[in-house]
Amino acid sequence: MHFFSQSFQYDHPWSHVVIGMWRKYPNPKCTHVVSVDVVDRSVDPQTGIIRTERILGCKQKAPRWIVKLFGGSEDAFVREICFVDPATQNTTITSVNLSLSQFASCYEVVRYTPSSHNRTAFTQTAEIQARMALWRSAADGLEKWLCQRFEQNAQLGKTAFTDVLRALSEERLGRPAMAA
Amino acid sequence: MAESLAPQCTPLKTAYDACFNSWFEGYLEPAVAASQTADREAYSKKKAEEYQQKCGKVWEEYKTCLQKAIKESGLEPVLQQAREEHPLTNPSPPSNH
Repeated sequence: MHFFSQSFQYDHPWSHVVIGMWRKYPNPKCTHVVSVDVVDRSVDPQTGIIRTERILGCKQKAPRWIVKLFGGSEDAFVREICFVDPATQNTTITSVNLSLSQFASCYEVVRYTPSSHNRTAFTQTAEIQARMALWRSAADGLEKWLCQRFEQNAQLGKTAFTDVLRALSEERLGRPAMAA
Repeated sequence: MAESLAPQCTPLKTAYDACFNSWFEGYLEPAVAASQTADREAYSKKKAEEYQQKCGKVWEEYKTCLQKAIKESGLEPVLQQAREEHPLTNPSPPSNH
């Protein structure tokens, strides 16, 4: 089992971050994300909570032994459930891999909450575990590779999302982007 | 916007995303404000209906296209299993900080 966690602040108000969330992809810094689909969405008429279920398609270069051993392709799908609660100003996003799920599980939880009037706290945790009774070395190798990919993508995601939020902010303020 | 996992659904996905994003951008900040008062339920009900009216049709079209593609791609069993294992139908309580 490997654990991963990080937290930091975005210099944008919570509602701006949550609006920006839906505009994160496609992103030149996250080219591994190739498709995004909403498979379910509901707006609760009593609580105002919005639940969204998405499937993200990723292409990741995997070591040949992983691709061969598991007879898989490099296409990986992830299921993501997001709750946006305006009453508590809490957004929680849970993601689990769909692909290779019989071999390994990568369970990630992200939360966005306001930390002040203009800043948003971001926390991210992940549990990565090889599932089957694999040879110990294969299980360890797979977990380690998944972890490296996860950390790398988490860093890319942070930079990529920061860019999206800045662009969105400039758009809202009516500043021209790169005046001719 | 990103593509759909099924290229034939991408135009519908793009139209649906645009509809939702436009509705959502008008929804969120007033929703936060309404929560501070007794208006939350009235506001939520009104906005939920508005979402249905504005985006309901394009959502059904996109969903139909996507569900067919998911069946054909063989993703459905693994999606079903994932839903059974982690239904995530209710928001978990926010962490304390």
